[in-house]
Amino acid sequence: MEKENLSFMDKLNELLMKDWTFILLVMGAAASIFAGTYLYISHGTGAFNEVSIVAMLQGGMETGDYSAAAGFAAGFLIARILEGPLVGLLDIGGSLMTGVGIGIPGLLLSMGWDFPLSNFFVALLFGAIVGVVIGGVIIAIRKLVPSGVAVGGTGIMMGAGNASGRYLAPMIVICAASYNVYAGIGAIIGSAIFYKWGKEMTGGAILGAMIMGAIFIP
Amino acid sequence: MIEVLIYSLIIGAVGGGCLAAGAARMFRAPEVQAMGSFRTLGELNACGGDPISHFSFGLGFLFSSAASAVAAGALTQDVFHRIVPNWAASILLFGNKNVEETLQNPAKMLFAGAGVGAVVVAFLNTLSAVIPEKLSTIASEVLVPATTYLINPVMPAIFWLAAIDGGKMCGMWATVLGGVSALVTGNALPGLVLGILVGKSAEENGYKSNVVRILIAVVVIMFVAIAYFRGFFDQFFVAAA
Repeated sequence: MEKENLSFMDKLNELLMKDWTFILLVMGAAASIFAGTYLYISHGTGAFNEVSIVAMLQGGMETGDYSAAAGFAAGFLIARILEGPLVGLLDIGGSLMTGVGIGIPGLLLSMGWDFPLSNFFVALLFGAIVGVVIGGVIIAIRKLVPSGVAVGGTGIMMGAGNASGRYLAPMIVICAASYNVYAGIGAIIGSAIFYKWGKEMTGGAILGAMIMGAIFIP
Repeated sequence: MIEVLIYSLIIGAVGGGCLAAGAARMFRAPEVQAMGSFRTLGELNACGGDPISHFSFGLGFLFSSAASAVAAGALTQDVFHRIVPNWAASILLFGNKNVEETLQNPAKMLFAGAGVGAVVVAFLNTLSAVIPEKLSTIASEVLVPATTYLINPVMPAIFWLAAIDGGKMCGMWATVLGGVSALVTGNALPGLVLGILVGKSAEENGYKSNVVRILIAVVVIMFVAIAYFRGFFDQFFVAAA
């Protein structure tokens, strides 16, 4: 049994190192991330991204204006697809989680086309198709474009993106303080504790506001 | 509830498996096209093939992901960037300490990642779904105004300053496109992101490069189209009349 098993795993391993299986891997990843966004829209949980980026989609769902989500995330998607084949490493955060998970849903909803997000299996299938296209484009660029062409700017965008995430914690404390006194006190305590632990302060601020609010807000 | 659980298991298994296999390919990049990220690669190497390090590194991020999932339904990028690859590696390394036969083996990472992904995603989503409604009301009362500030004007300002610090060409493209974007779409961010992209690419390849020319053409067409469909040009006629 051991020998047979080994040879199967070795064959699979060989297979998974090929160029075209990369397309399959992107397909699976994109399908799952797009379906995660479907789950977020329908059940309020499951988007594979940071609070600050998911908030752009949420903002669109509330106001009907998806330009922030679509523009921000689609920009990342384009940049990462161009960069991926040139460095040999596709950044899944910018391309799939932000681009496919937030940008494409934003784009679709801004055009009023919500069919891909109407059902879990449709979402899974649509994400898979998007993944095949992205994977195919990347392998095609890899084969066609001469080396030495660089697409710049992703470093700046990464830096700015991370910097904006940091602004969320203070904003939450300020908003909690103006919403309700107990939520405010909770947010202050929560963010202070998370800061002390060296954890992301955003989580502490929200959890603190929720816990204190749950106990004291009637 | 059952629906969320089943969907989460599917999403986690498919995504976790594919991404873990893609992460294993990173060790052969750039010869083999991989996916993941440079920080994931660095962190996987930093754990040095020790299963306990991989496990505790993932666990730390599971806590912050859980907080964010409970608060806003956002599982964070760390689920696929950090928790899945590190826990998959940790499980494989408990059986075999050789990284080439475990962490760097896409086939084994595929299965380990699928298992870890299914469990982690299902756990986070059910955790987030069982919290009472009062708590999510408080979370949204606090989060909605906070993120509204973030989207406009905090993020545009940060991206704008980052573009200006990125050099003259990058700053100029971002300033013009960001301003146009603010006029046309109401938010400067899309224009700033594209401005940084165009400016930096032009700086590195020159305006004679086809990639840069195509980029500029795409951006111009896109903004003209958006402006037209949102009725931006009508404003001039109204003012003239």
